[in-house]
Amino acid sequence: MKMKKIALSVLMAGLLITSCKKDKPEEPNEEEVITTMRLTFVPVGAGATVTYQFDDPDGPGGVAPTQDEIVLAPSTTYNVTLQLLNKTETPVEDITLEVLGEKEAHRFYYEPTAGSNITVSGLDNDGNGVPLGVTSVWTTAAAATGKVKVTLRHYAGIPPNKAIGDLVNSAKSSTDIEVDFNSKIQ
Amino acid sequence: MKLIIAILFALFFSGTASSQECSISLTGHVEDADTKDKLPGAVVILKETGMQLVTDNKGDFIFKNLCIGEYNLLVSHISCESVVRKIVVSKDLHIDIMMPHARNTLGEVIVEAQKGITNTGFKKELSGKDLEETKGLSLAEALSKINGVTMLQTGSTISKPVIHGLHSSRILTINNGVRQEGQQWGNEHAPEIDPFIADKLIVIKGVDELKYGSDAIAGVILVEPKPLRSTPGYSAEFNTVYFTNNRQYVQSVVWEQQLKNLPAFRYRIQGTFKKGANAATPGYRLNNTGSEEKNFSITAGWKKEKFNTELFYSQFATKLGIFIGSHIGNLTDLQNAIASSRPDEVFLGETTYKIRRPSQEVTHHLVKSKTTLYKGEHKFNVLLAGQFNHRKEFDVVRNSSNTRPQLDLSIYTLSEDISWEHPKRNNFNGVVGLSMMQQDNTYGGRYFIPNYFAYTFGGYFIEKWNKHNWELQAGIRFDNKSINTTRLKFNSDTINYDFNFSTLASSFNAIYKATEKWKLNLNLSLASRAPYVNELLSDGIHHGTATFEKGDITLKPEKSVNISAGINYQNTLKTFHFDLLLYSNSIRDFIYQQPRPENPVLTIAGAFPLIEYQQTDALLSGFDASASVKPLSNFEWESKLSVLYAKNTSINDWLILMPANRLSNEISYSFKEAKKFSDSYVAVEFLHVMRQNNIPDERNGKQDYKVPPGAYHLLNFNASSAVSFGKTKITIGIGIRNLLNTTYRDYLNSMRYFTDEMGRNISIRVKVPFNYVYHYL
Repeated sequence: MKMKKIALSVLMAGLLITSCKKDKPEEPNEEEVITTMRLTFVPVGAGATVTYQFDDPDGPGGVAPTQDEIVLAPSTTYNVTLQLLNKTETPVEDITLEVLGEKEAHRFYYEPTAGSNITVSGLDNDGNGVPLGVTSVWTTAAAATGKVKVTLRHYAGIPPNKAIGDLVNSAKSSTDIEVDFNSKIQ
Repeated sequence: MKLIIAILFALFFSGTASSQECSISLTGHVEDADTKDKLPGAVVILKETGMQLVTDNKGDFIFKNLCIGEYNLLVSHISCESVVRKIVVSKDLHIDIMMPHARNTLGEVIVEAQKGITNTGFKKELSGKDLEETKGLSLAEALSKINGVTMLQTGSTISKPVIHGLHSSRILTINNGVRQEGQQWGNEHAPEIDPFIADKLIVIKGVDELKYGSDAIAGVILVEPKPLRSTPGYSAEFNTVYFTNNRQYVQSVVWEQQLKNLPAFRYRIQGTFKKGANAATPGYRLNNTGSEEKNFSITAGWKKEKFNTELFYSQFATKLGIFIGSHIGNLTDLQNAIASSRPDEVFLGETTYKIRRPSQEVTHHLVKSKTTLYKGEHKFNVLLAGQFNHRKEFDVVRNSSNTRPQLDLSIYTLSEDISWEHPKRNNFNGVVGLSMMQQDNTYGGRYFIPNYFAYTFGGYFIEKWNKHNWELQAGIRFDNKSINTTRLKFNSDTINYDFNFSTLASSFNAIYKATEKWKLNLNLSLASRAPYVNELLSDGIHHGTATFEKGDITLKPEKSVNISAGINYQNTLKTFHFDLLLYSNSIRDFIYQQPRPENPVLTIAGAFPLIEYQQTDALLSGFDASASVKPLSNFEWESKLSVLYAKNTSINDWLILMPANRLSNEISYSFKEAKKFSDSYVAVEFLHVMRQNNIPDERNGKQDYKVPPGAYHLLNFNASSAVSFGKTKITIGIGIRNLLNTTYRDYLNSMRYFTDEMGRNISIRVKVPFNYVYHYL
């Protein structure tokens, strides 16, 4: 009978529909996340090492990030090392290594505001002698407050064509990091 | 799908033509007697003269230079029984031919599901010559030839259809009878369908949308393939298109056969390959705007008297480059890019086919089985479909050795539709159906939407009644959708949300054919759409727009009341036609994205403007008007006007990102049939797109980065001719888009912030068909 066939096919279809089981979701590998930028200040001569950071352990969105104020001593020179972390991974991933692995395609810019009494110089270079900026030298003057903007620019071009004269807003590169720290010299 | 039956050419001989005055023309119009559908592609033969032609997409034909006399006119169409009419011609004459459905000819019942009830409320169709002109273009580009349909674009490679201002999850796209399920919510997620599959593209609004879902707030797009072969034999068709602007070439091949010894079995194999290089605007060439597409489909059908089944498999695979200058690291970069009138030189000038980051790779697989059984006059359909959609988006990454996608979404969909069509009784016919759908979505890489399982159960009931000049149709549908979502957090925690939505839809449609010339149509549709997962739970940075998008778990289904009224006039000679569609779509709890400029999200890459999904009441109203005049038999002038007003009624403001009003005028000239050349025409289109001035007021916060671009005018050109080489008729066509190489930007293209639209693009297309019919001795 045709009706039986119909009933059968409907039933079979129903089985197909319901036989799909729920399986456990896999851990997604979220990429390209930088949660933390840490600046370690080692004073030349006497004084204690200080560390300041921008920290957003759950990545963009969710809980708002925390951001330190950079507090430095007057008339001091600091050797500064920058570190990037991804805290969403276990163990915590050191993104600085990735940047150092592709020095020719990255560049950090440090822009203290006028009146902050901070000057940044002595950036380390990539293989082509163009500034990279994972390490830098900060020099402070008299007590003041201001801001320091730290920007990481990424050159996506092949080849990157990174050049000494490139400005922070060069069209050849795009922004991976842009953090505006408050600074205080006291 | 439509009726299929073998065509029998019954030949009648009679009458002799006397020749005195040989300048008479005979015009005619062919319609389906039951559905009143125009029948394009019907073969019309004037026996005595041996003249033969095919009806155009309006179902019309014209024989010219006839002598006074008596003729036998033979009309045949794939869906219908052939008709022979004896006519006496003494002066110019027009005849209408009603083709009866070939239900039982040759003792075989029609099998393919003919949509049960073919009449729909509002229906706009693209087929025949108009569809031919779009060969090689994307689905949305083809659909945008329909009045009232526009496009939402991301550069030249990604486009989605917009119907009366609405798009994405508010449009149901039905690919060969199956509701297309992918990641259709995204503005830069184009439909994963090869337009070469389609024999017809149809947009409907009316009771028939209830068969596919209760959520067709804007309408339904049907992508309809040609029915399988109906005469034992084989045929093939090769289509080649080349576009000059981006050096895009397209190859499409279809092969089909009905076996000689096993006529119940028929099959078709079809494939398309497409590859384009970087596209150029009038002033510059845009890097990384190439595209590549590889599609394949196979259909096999088994047709017996009371039973018909069809198995279909299709695979769609595309790779799309996204203009590299539009990939934005943060807000400062975006503002810099927008501020310059021309993209930086580093993003311009490459002529390669190579696609780099940022890019998208999308594959879509569809397996479908459709079975129809006949029990007396009852008809039962069982449709099973499985779909797998895999979308990978590749961002510009820090580490150049990284080959992984940053957004990776996979969605499996299983669906089942069962329907019963009852026999026609007392002018009533109708269909009752049940549908079930389950989906499993998983993500890898960056979070944008969660993993989820979704189950939808629905049922519908549609009745249609027609008598004399009236057709009344009504239907109702109910769906229940449950969604269980899981988001994984970095510390192995999960965040789970469960949702359950019930949605109700109904529709009523009345058509009144006042006279042969006038037709009136009124439709009232209620639709209701459950919020999509992205609207509920999206949470992340959208790189194309440098915004942080956030969903809202408290969203309710949006409900729309759509009223459409249509007036149709066509004179007896078919030399004048006028069409007006007025619509008003009132949507309660309309889900949209509201910018929150006061509340930016701070990230390590700087502050991103926040955009939140929220609900309001909206009213979208407007009209589509079209008219065509044939002042001379060779000349045709067609004019189309489309106007939309889209308001956020809760705050009495305009809605963002709505298509601008537009007017198109086309003049075409058809050449006389010559010995070797037929169906020859040239057409010129003037397209005028106005500036969108109705945009949200800044007093509700900053809503957009840039004011809408100005109005633009485009001149387009099309020409085509079929050239006979022996028995083979090769169609050659030339199309020129943006003939004057005008520089312009379109409000609905997200690239308008950065670049101009594509410049002049000349396309050359060639179609070579082969057909062989087995001869029985």
